[in-house]
Amino acid sequence: MKSGLSASITPSSIQMKRKKQWSKLIPYLFVAPWIIGFVVFTLGPLLFSFVISFFDWPIVGEKKFIGFSNYTTMFTNDPMFWHSLWVTVKFALFFVPLNIILALLLAILLNQKVKGSSLFRTFFYVPSVISGVALAMIWGSVFDGEYGILNYLLSLIGIEGPNWLNSTSWALVAMVIASLWGQGTLMLIFLAGLKNIPQDLYEAAEIDGAGKIFQFFKITVPLLSPTILFNLIMTIIGAFQQLTLALVLTGGGPLQSTYFYAMYVYENAFKYFKMGYSSANAWIMFLIVLALTLLVFKSSSTWVYYENEVKNDK
Amino acid sequence: MKGKKRLQKSFVYGLLIALSLLFLLPFFWMVMTSLKGPEELAQYPPKLFPSEWHFENFAKAWNSQPFNVFLVNSLIVTALTTIGQIISSTLVAYGFARFKFKGRDVLFIILLATMMIPWDVTMIPQYMEFNLFGWINTLKALIIPSWFGSAFYIFLLRQFIMSIPKELDEAARIDGANVFQIYYKIYLPLVWPVIVLIAVFNILGSWNDYLGPLIFLNDQSKYTLTLGLAQFKGVHDVNTNGIMAVTFLISIVPLVLFFLAQKKIVEGVQTTGLK
Amino acid sequence: MKKRKMWFSLLIAAVVLVMSACSSNNSSGDGKKDGKTVLRFATWDTGDTLKIQQDIAKAFEKENKDVKVQVEAYGDGFDQKIAASFGAKNPPDVMYMWDFTTYNKSLEPLDGYVQKDPDIKMDDFYEGLFNYSKVDGKLYGMPAGFSTMVVYYNKKLFDQYQIPYPKEGWTWDEFKEIAKKLTDKSKKQYGFAVTSEPDTYDLQGLVWSNGGSFISDDGKKIDGAMNSPETVEALQMYGDMVKDGMAISTGGKNQQSASEIFKANKLGMLINGIWPIQGYKDAKVDFGTAMIPSFGSKPVKGLISSSSISIAKDSKQKDLAWKFVKFYSSEQAIKMRTADLPVRKSIVEETKVNEDPLYKPFYTMLENATNTPAFLLNKNWNEINRNLSAAINAVMLGQDGKPLFDKAVKDSEKYLDK
Repeated sequence: MKSGLSASITPSSIQMKRKKQWSKLIPYLFVAPWIIGFVVFTLGPLLFSFVISFFDWPIVGEKKFIGFSNYTTMFTNDPMFWHSLWVTVKFALFFVPLNIILALLLAILLNQKVKGSSLFRTFFYVPSVISGVALAMIWGSVFDGEYGILNYLLSLIGIEGPNWLNSTSWALVAMVIASLWGQGTLMLIFLAGLKNIPQDLYEAAEIDGAGKIFQFFKITVPLLSPTILFNLIMTIIGAFQQLTLALVLTGGGPLQSTYFYAMYVYENAFKYFKMGYSSANAWIMFLIVLALTLLVFKSSSTWVYYENEVKNDK
Repeated sequence: MKGKKRLQKSFVYGLLIALSLLFLLPFFWMVMTSLKGPEELAQYPPKLFPSEWHFENFAKAWNSQPFNVFLVNSLIVTALTTIGQIISSTLVAYGFARFKFKGRDVLFIILLATMMIPWDVTMIPQYMEFNLFGWINTLKALIIPSWFGSAFYIFLLRQFIMSIPKELDEAARIDGANVFQIYYKIYLPLVWPVIVLIAVFNILGSWNDYLGPLIFLNDQSKYTLTLGLAQFKGVHDVNTNGIMAVTFLISIVPLVLFFLAQKKIVEGVQTTGLK
Repeated sequence: MKKRKMWFSLLIAAVVLVMSACSSNNSSGDGKKDGKTVLRFATWDTGDTLKIQQDIAKAFEKENKDVKVQVEAYGDGFDQKIAASFGAKNPPDVMYMWDFTTYNKSLEPLDGYVQKDPDIKMDDFYEGLFNYSKVDGKLYGMPAGFSTMVVYYNKKLFDQYQIPYPKEGWTWDEFKEIAKKLTDKSKKQYGFAVTSEPDTYDLQGLVWSNGGSFISDDGKKIDGAMNSPETVEALQMYGDMVKDGMAISTGGKNQQSASEIFKANKLGMLINGIWPIQGYKDAKVDFGTAMIPSFGSKPVKGLISSSSISIAKDSKQKDLAWKFVKFYSSEQAIKMRTADLPVRKSIVEETKVNEDPLYKPFYTMLENATNTPAFLLNKNWNEINRNLSAAINAVMLGQDGKPLFDKAVKDSEKYLDK
């Protein structure tokens, strides 16, 4: 034993050390609920799906180990893989920026001091409350080529609208429009973030004679950047998981023009009963989304501003 | 100057009203559709108002299945998951946002990663696991996991907690408060608007959840509202009136709750007031 | 601060309330409930049809006082739920079934039970129906109900344009003539409706009637069947009717369906099974039914859509399950099933449903339904069907059929011998 060391330890320093060890534990105590939940509810199923991605498993019937076969099939022998990925990327390229900009603008609009703002906030959120089949049916009757409301309104101003959901070029556009309608969640998060910006900053800027646009880019955007980061990542993840609307409105059609990657995963599992293959699909999607997220996170150090982090990290 | 301000104000109002109409239209269309007779569903030019008001559609749809039972189940699940999410997610988010500890960043990436795997492929193993626990065909399968936090809410809260100046808890620590007191007495009140926001999201999410109940519940006496709703849409036939009527009825609860809660959300995280 | 306390106490109150609600919720495991044995029965039926299932279950409970039949209604989510519960080895005891080629390995063969129970009177069923629930000669399901496809026509519109109602033995040329007359685009009124994304299953009657098919009778070849001139011609005819403006192209899934347009009196004719008949009556449409037209002098072929009920292999109470299946196939229960056509001949003889003019064409089509659908002929049909659907979808949107079907054949051949 290192006697020299032990001699120097006094009772109070032991206490100090204990306290220090204890304080080292504290952060883990806070995150413990999630860790426990992850280990108990999520980790097992995740590992299972990862392992099964190396198997041929028709859900009903035996599992058969086939090595990397699912993955090689996907990349070399399945045009639907590339097609659905491409559809999703196209969708995301429009949906992600539009959704964030729209939600931010709506939040800024709602942030104005006006009478009846409670009502306006509720109205703006209404589309997010309707879900599932009813939402799809509403969109069905809005976009219908013959009897639809949208084309009727367009005809009033002399435009002959396309047969939205039956047209390979317009169906995806219709999908973006329908998805944008449900921006309520993002809008609320932005709204909460906007309220978080101290008003005195704007007042000071006003006194300095700064214009609204200057204020927006120099105060609002930097101070809102943690929220923007959050919404950006959530929208990216959401775009890749876009399933319900396609499933209930177009079924991926016409001619697979709205056949999203998430639908590809879903159909391989529950229409074609290839659970192993579907798991492999899912893990590839996971890698893509994870890479995108990490990219955004890496870039975030240059544009996201946390009020305390500057001092914190030094 | 005054004229310009007034012009600005009326522009804002105009925009707000126009957008409100745009957002309310589908909802309004849904309500009107639910009041129409079956012969009026496909009309051209589209008819907004029914020529005959079928108010009995609501009662007919609601009574066609035990929707009162479904309502109670939905209320239980929504209330319990929301409470669970709030308690667990605030704790975990505080841990991630306010401490530096070994493995934090890796854990956080894992947390985010859990959102990126579609449930399609983890659903069956989770079913097996819950079956082992004896939770299949009970509301526990829907409720208990939510008491361990969800990545979306934790991430959201973390973003807000991180934008609170750190001097606050240093001051409190000097006053002799321990970390839990700081969490409870300082941070929780501060992020209260975000907590309300999370409550709103979770109420809506669990109220409208369809896949979870579909997979985990069997007996009608355990069904939630969304599963009841699915019983209007069969393989060969769709009861459009029924779907619209019930969707409208069940959207009332989250809408009213949202209306009551939204004032809290826009109160803002009051960092300035406490300095 | 005060307000916040109120919120918290509200929360606490909610917790307490809900905990007490939960504790009464505990007796929910499988097997027994209130001292009764629970039998799980899953169905995809909805609405009034679901009520029929619940009534049959109640009738069974009345005869078996110690049993509770748990009717599980999943509607549109049926396929996913059943797949997940089979995957997790916790399927319902008894369930609706149609896709026997996919599920047969997880289902209990019923031949043994049928042999032990002569009073089920197998010869009272329409023989053809058993083909739909047999795989490799083994019976996996008892027929529960079925339908054929017929033409529904709007009498009001026919009268308005002074067109005589369709008669038995009419041809597609006559059909197209009528459809053209009934179309008035300015009123958004059409003679016929074609789904742009049809279930390929529903089109088989059409294809057979022209002498074509999707797959050879032995299930081993698609080249020369799926892309044969007869098959292509029949499907192309639908696409052309849209192109020529006499038919409206309706979308898939939840978009405005042909049925809704028919209910609004804006559609002259459509092809469907028995299922929406009550809906049309409720919407007060003045309609009639007719058999499907023929291609010139070629014989018309009918198509059966049947549902059966099956027992899961993993069921722990197969004898009870069989008792229920048997009850479900009994005359008493079949008579209660009024939403589709009765599977027992004796019921038809008793109720004379086949003499009702609205129902008669369904039985005419049944007599012609002698071909076997593709999905029963090849166990990889799901895969092949993916390519076929894409081709048909393109044809319905106005593209030229032949090259599409050739491509579908080329892309699908790899699945044939697997």
